[in-house]
Formats: sequence, structure tokens, C-alpha cells
Amino acid sequence: MEPVTVTICMGTACVVMDGSRLVLLEEHLPERLRGLVRIRGERCLDLCTRRSAALAPFVLVDGEPLANATFESIVLRIEERLAGRA
Amino acid sequence: MVDDMNEGGPRGRCAPATSPLVPDFIEVDHFGLACGGEHLSGDLFHSRSLEEGNRVVSVLADGLSSGVEAAVLASVTASMALEYVEWNIDTAKAAAILMDSLPVDPVRRISYSTFTIVDARRDGRTRIFEHGNPPVLLIRDGALVPLERTVLGQPRWGNRRLRVSEFQSSVGDRIVLCSDGVTQSGMGTPALPLGWGEPEAAAYALSRLARSPDLSSRRLAELLVDRALWNDGGAAGDDITCGIIHLRRPRVLQVLTGPPFDRARDREFAALVDRPGSRKVVCGGTTSNILARELNREVEMDLALPDREVPAPSAMAGVELVTEGCLTLAKVGQYLEAGACPRRNAASRLVELLLESDVIHFQVGTAVNEAHQDPALPVELDIRRNVIKRIAALLETRHLKKTLLSYY
Ligand code: FES
Repeated sequence: MEPVTVTICMGTACVVMDGSRLVLLEEHLPERLRGLVRIRGERCLDLCTRRSAALAPFVLVDGEPLANATFESIVLRIEERLAGRA
Repeated sequence: MVDDMNEGGPRGRCAPATSPLVPDFIEVDHFGLACGGEHLSGDLFHSRSLEEGNRVVSVLADGLSSGVEAAVLASVTASMALEYVEWNIDTAKAAAILMDSLPVDPVRRISYSTFTIVDARRDGRTRIFEHGNPPVLLIRDGALVPLERTVLGQPRWGNRRLRVSEFQSSVGDRIVLCSDGVTQSGMGTPALPLGWGEPEAAAYALSRLARSPDLSSRRLAELLVDRALWNDGGAAGDDITCGIIHLRRPRVLQVLTGPPFDRARDREFAALVDRPGSRKVVCGGTTSNILARELNREVEMDLALPDREVPAPSAMAGVELVTEGCLTLAKVGQYLEAGACPRRNAASRLVELLLESDVIHFQVGTAVNEAHQDPALPVELDIRRNVIKRIAALLETRHLKKTLLSYY
């Protein structure tokens, strides 16, 4: 199965809004998702300006923006994606 | 620091990629180790930059034997030579005074300190005065150039001699000075009973340069000293010192940071990346997005080494390094201030690139990033321009770099 792609924003606004630790996502994936997720970094997703820095950190899950991202909300979104494909 | 607000300002025309303010220059550096077990080296390599950097005088002095006594002799010799030069006494005269005044060992009839003085000018005029050290090497286009030496003697010098050479250097020339700790390294070992020898040491320098023609003076000196230490079996049998004088084109680094104030200039700003003659660094997420769009290039982030303090670096064709903006630059400022990089991250990589360059041209986009002004952010982000000015000032004062600032 094509893995789900998670793009983590490493731009200034997202990083200071506690997004920097999101690069450790791999370690926070539950066992059942291992190998099903591809993690990438992006310099700035440009959502901080187009939407609002108050909603940072941002990530994209298969290209879909997720605001106020946390490990939990990212995992949830990945599972939704996988469920949707099945 | 040259702050050419008029030239590259938001409404001005853009500044040239390589500036006429940046002529050829003389890079001098050295590396040395004390004889095994000693704290002080009896070799000394000192340089002085004169006439606003148009002339550099370097001295390598090697005090007889090793330890404190040798260190004092070498230090007196080197400082005398540089003091004379500072007093505007011609180098030839200074060398002769040294020959006159150096104490001589009564048994061996040799000076208590040997010395080599190189007087190099940025226009290429070079004079070398040698007494007792291994002959200097002149390396041009990857090969040794033999020097024509005039041998001077005086009745009061006994059988001691001063060898003088005078020549016109070309851009790219390196002059290599070694103490006998380099050329005689390994002496008495089964592998090198007679020591490494001058021809072998020279061949080694040439081979390293053939592999990496852009070696910095510091690195080449380090390589020669390391190799000599290796010959000695890991414990220096004598003080080992190497100094290198390199006349070369300056290495220019362009730092592109910040989106241009006027979007209409995005293309012109992005085009800086492909101007030849310098290396490039990009700092800032929005900035890298603009370049990626205008140049139609991928920006690939490397998440292999996550760092708690500084966001990971990215790569883009034609650019040495792409980093996040404000946080990384603030960290670069801190590292330069502290004089050390305690961690390996995008900021330390940028510091390395800055220090490897002679001239740093900051191309600063002045658009305000509205997202950074958002009161929701838990930290206050410094204005890019201020951070850059601080970095430029540190580079100028602490590291003797030339910096240029242009605004877009
Ligand atoms: S910093 Fe994350 S979207 Fe801009």
C-alpha cells in the first residue's frame, strides 16, 4: 500500500509554536502504523501567512492541511486516511 | 561593513555579485605542535598585516632545542623581526640585524634561533629571507617553482648565511614554511632512518593540493603537521610547525535572506542564486519558497539529524545550504559571539560556511513577515535586518571578514 505522506513544517512560526518536536513523529507512531507513513519536512508551508500563525504548527497529511498539529491529531488523521482508502 | 542602501535598496538597482571592493588577498595561517611532553613549542609562527592588508610579513622562528628556553629564543627572534617591520625598517635590514644580534652557540657555531621571514605584498612583490630553517616551498599551479636565492655572508656572521630571494607572485601561489620538525620527522625510525626529507614533504603537500586545490592555509598546514606526527609514531620528536602564505582570489559567500519588499523584484532576487563567482546560502522558509518558485527547483529537507534548537537544513541545486530564517540566524549570532558551536546543526553549518569565506555579501529582503508579528507567537522575533547587522559586525571584528549588505 502507498504510504501516507506527512509533511511537517519546519518554518519559523510552526517551530516556535512547538512544532519542532513533530520531526520525532516516527517514534510516536503506534505499532500498527509503522511502515505505512512517510515523513518529510518543508521549509514553510505558507499557511502561517495564508491562514494564521495562531493556528501553527501546521502539517500536511497526504497534502491536506492540519492546523494546531500534535502527535495525537496527526495519528488520528493518518488513520482516517487509511480507513478512507480501504 | 559596507551598507550599500543606495545601490541595492528597495528602489535601487541590484548590487554586483562580486564586488570591486574585493581584490586578491593574502591568506596566512599556520599549525603547530610542541615536542612530545613539552607545553611550549620552541617554534613560533607570527604574522603581521600592514598597509591596510596590502602587505603581510610572516616569521617562522625555531629556537635551539625545545622547551621553555627554545620558546623564549624563538619568541624574541620573531617579535624583533616584526617590531622592526612595524617601525618601517626594511625587511632586508631587519633580517641583517637579526643575524648580527642572534646569540650563537659556542660549540656548534649555529644561531640560537633560526628564522624565515616572508614579506608578501598583495600586488605580488615577494621577498624571502631565510636562515637555518628548511627552505621554503613555492607552489604554483600544482608544481614547485625553484627559487633563486642570493646567499649573503658577513665576516661577523662567521659561517652563518642569510639566503634572500625576491620574486613576483601570481594569484594562487602558496609559500610553505616548515620547521625542521616537519622535514626531519621520523628520523631514526625503521621506516624513515634519515627522516621524512624536504622532497618527500614537498611531494606530500603537492599531492594533497592535487586532490583538493582549494585547501585553506590552515588545513594544509594541519595536514603537513599531522603527517609529520605520524612519521614520529604519534609523539612529536621535535616541535613541528608549518605556516602557509597564499595569495588568492577571495572566497565570496552570498547569503540570501528575506522576501524582497516589492514582489516585482522576486525574480531579480532569485537570479542571484545563479550568478557565478560565489557560493550561496539561503536563510528563511518564505525566501526559499520564492526561490523554488522563481527558479523552478526543489527544496529537499534533510530530517536525518533533528535538533532541538535549530530547524533541520535543506538542500537546493546551486545553493550550499538552505535554512530556516530568524531562529537559525539568531543562533548563528550566538555561536559567533561565543566563538564556538556547541552543537552540530544548520546554524553550525552556516557558521562554517561564513568562516570559510573571506567576503560575505548579505542580500537582505526587507518585506516584513506578517506571520512573525502575530501576537499568538510565544517569542518575540528579532527583525531580520538587526540580526544580520549583528552577524556582519561580529564577522568583521572577530574574524576579519569583509561584509557587504544589500537590501531588496
Ligand atoms: S512556518 Fe509553518 S506554515 Fe509557515
